[in-house]
Amino acid sequence: MVARARATFTTLGLAAAALLLSSCGGLGGIAPIFPTPVSPNGQDIYNLYLLISIPAIIVFIGVEVALLWVVLRYRRSRQPAGYVPPQIHGHNGLEIAWTVAPLVIVLAIAFVSFQELQKDFQPINNQQMLVVVSGHQFGWIYTYENGVVVDQEGTLAGNVTPFVVPVNTLIKLQFRGTDVIHSWWVPAISGKTDAVPGYDNFSWLKISQPGTWRGECAELCGAGHSTMQIIVQAMDQTDYDQWVQTQLAAKHASPSPSPSTSPSPKPSASPS
Amino acid sequence: MAATTVLPRPKAYDDSFFKPISLWLTTTDHKLIGIMYMVTGVLSFVVGGIFALIIRLQLAQPNLSVVDAETYNQLISAHGVTMIFFFVTIFLTGIANYLVPIMIGARDMAFPRVNLLGFWLIPVSIILYYSAFFTGGALDAGWTGYAPLTEKAYQSHSLGVDFWALSIIVWAISGIMASTNFLTTIVALRAPGMKLTRLPLFVWAQISTSILLLVVGAPLAAAMILLEFDRQLGTQFFTTQGRPVLYQHLFWFFGHPEVYIMILPGFGMISEIIPVFARKPIFGYMSMVMALFGIVFLSMTVWAHHMFTVGMNTYVETFFMVMTMLIAVPTGIKFFNWIATAWWGSIEFTVPMKFVFGFLATFLIGGITGVYLASVPVDTQLHQSYYVVAHLHYVLFGGSVFTIFAGLYYWFPKITGRLLNRTLGEWNFWTLFIGFNGTFLIMHTLGLEGMPRRIATYTNVSWATTNLIITISSFLIAFSVLLFLINVVRSWNGGEIAGNDPWGGNTLEWATTSPPPPYNFERVPPVRSFMPLRDLRESGEFVDPEAIPALV
Repeated sequence: MVARARATFTTLGLAAAALLLSSCGGLGGIAPIFPTPVSPNGQDIYNLYLLISIPAIIVFIGVEVALLWVVLRYRRSRQPAGYVPPQIHGHNGLEIAWTVAPLVIVLAIAFVSFQELQKDFQPINNQQMLVVVSGHQFGWIYTYENGVVVDQEGTLAGNVTPFVVPVNTLIKLQFRGTDVIHSWWVPAISGKTDAVPGYDNFSWLKISQPGTWRGECAELCGAGHSTMQIIVQAMDQTDYDQWVQTQLAAKHASPSPSPSTSPSPKPSASPS
Repeated sequence: MAATTVLPRPKAYDDSFFKPISLWLTTTDHKLIGIMYMVTGVLSFVVGGIFALIIRLQLAQPNLSVVDAETYNQLISAHGVTMIFFFVTIFLTGIANYLVPIMIGARDMAFPRVNLLGFWLIPVSIILYYSAFFTGGALDAGWTGYAPLTEKAYQSHSLGVDFWALSIIVWAISGIMASTNFLTTIVALRAPGMKLTRLPLFVWAQISTSILLLVVGAPLAAAMILLEFDRQLGTQFFTTQGRPVLYQHLFWFFGHPEVYIMILPGFGMISEIIPVFARKPIFGYMSMVMALFGIVFLSMTVWAHHMFTVGMNTYVETFFMVMTMLIAVPTGIKFFNWIATAWWGSIEFTVPMKFVFGFLATFLIGGITGVYLASVPVDTQLHQSYYVVAHLHYVLFGGSVFTIFAGLYYWFPKITGRLLNRTLGEWNFWTLFIGFNGTFLIMHTLGLEGMPRRIATYTNVSWATTNLIITISSFLIAFSVLLFLINVVRSWNGGEIAGNDPWGGNTLEWATTSPPPPYNFERVPPVRSFMPLRDLRESGEFVDPEAIPALV
């Protein structure tokens, strides 16, 4: 009787789980780390995340096990009748130990983070290409040095015009905001960079393989915030050159496309 | 010998659920004001929770339109403002208002009428905020209200930002009043023998909280005033032509210490509850106090870690990164001292103690993810994603809210004279613990995969199941809170009579009746350590307050 009831419940539970999974597509968003990075700066952040995870997981497991031990071992029902706990008010050695140990761990984490910060987060000058990325409500406009302009206007469906880049090319991105603050984020490439009105902000990418990666605006910028999708498409150099020619031809065919909202890529004001 | 006047115990201080409204409106009794603060806080919790449930319905599946994007933005803003400004901070001010004077053996706060004014500014602040919903829409730029999105150029349709700014200014004034009052009370009104080194750790926590709010309340009001100048007088402080990042500096100079304003009183409560149920004194009293002040100092030097993507100089970022990570040190001291207090103890797992351990287990996760977020390069990935939403709920919900529940179950008998029902309490704890982790644990991974916070909807179908699990779990939290509310109302009306000291407490609030009389103590008991009541119990000197004629 009990066994049959248990079997019924198990079947029902499995059926419900299967229904849940099948009705909603795959189970995404449960990986414990970023998407596989395709740009060296993203790779460095990925590695740093892994490095921090070593002490983090050790501390997590150690402290949770200690808590579990306290819960299981020192509950009153487990203690002998009439047990009077030792009245300890502290222990200098222990207290110093658990002051110094976290200090050493966080300083080590801070040090490796500082090294990565110096390596990948300084404004670069040795770029092979410069693209001005301008955020507005609600879309991105990419202005290339050769005159190509990609208008990535946000859509509800998310199928925005891709921002096309050649592979294995060090591209400096120069961010500016024309109205409110936006934040450009493609997790597979690297971290976020804010596009703030009033000064220019910088980042870079160097994508290692052809492909398409998605991202979104990460700073609440108004009612259309969730439509500000980003698609980055990396192409081989030959495909890219062809794409540039097509873009330039289309631009000359219709003299005033509508890059009126995009600012010209003039030299930046200095950051405040 | 002259007959002593026997004062009848006022009717108003009985343990009945309903009291005359005139009493509530005019009282300067810190205990009644404390109750009003706490009730306001819990009501805000319910309102903010309803906002959260609507948000979760909207995000349950991709491309839903339960609410439109504009309404969604108002809901997330209202959820944040309600929970942070009107629930956690207000509730904690209330419980401190109730307990601090009793714990130090005082009869009331130092400035009872300032206390009254400070409390009544809170409903003013709340009404100001919500009235914006009837003037074309409330704040829709998140609880942080980043300029220039809050500027007139992008808010032509409503007065929501103005109402929010005014509301926060009033709130800050109230907070400054309360902080001044707490500090004066603790400095000036301690009972004989209550040296600073004998203060209960909850009182120390309140000192550190009050110092923080006193320092950072004014810059918050300043940010709001400058924003109003921009909006109403046409100045250019934070506009597209001005310096939007300056707003972030001002706001976070308040905003980060506010995090500690919301958790330090909780730390204090944990430090009171563990020793009582483990039957051991707190481990490392002095290092606990020093850790509190370490956190106070450090928390005012870390604000720009909310701004690692705006493009600051990398050395400036390094400074804020190191200071942020250093907060893990005093927090770690507190954590290990709590574990050491419970170690070798004889622990009674009452409902408050369950919430304490629920807090320890979850707050640890929030602390560890905080170190990831402090690392500037990693933060550029995690910032403004669901990882941050998960982190902040692990420290604010797993942290502050679990400590609030622990405190409520622990002190409810003192406040009402009746115990909260234990069975409902167990259900409340387990459903909250499971619902909380089910809701927020997988938000970390959603954020890692690229889901930004504050998006009204998403197109990525692979996030659908994860979001559905989160939504279902969030309704489990709502169910748990419902159990709690039923428990409060039922127990307040007819719960088991608690007696003066149901737990075997260490501190002075258990040395008086439940609920205490208006003057708190007939005779203030002598204080010889930071556990005065335990000393009296052990030396056999303790006099039951019920046996004192004036109180019968």
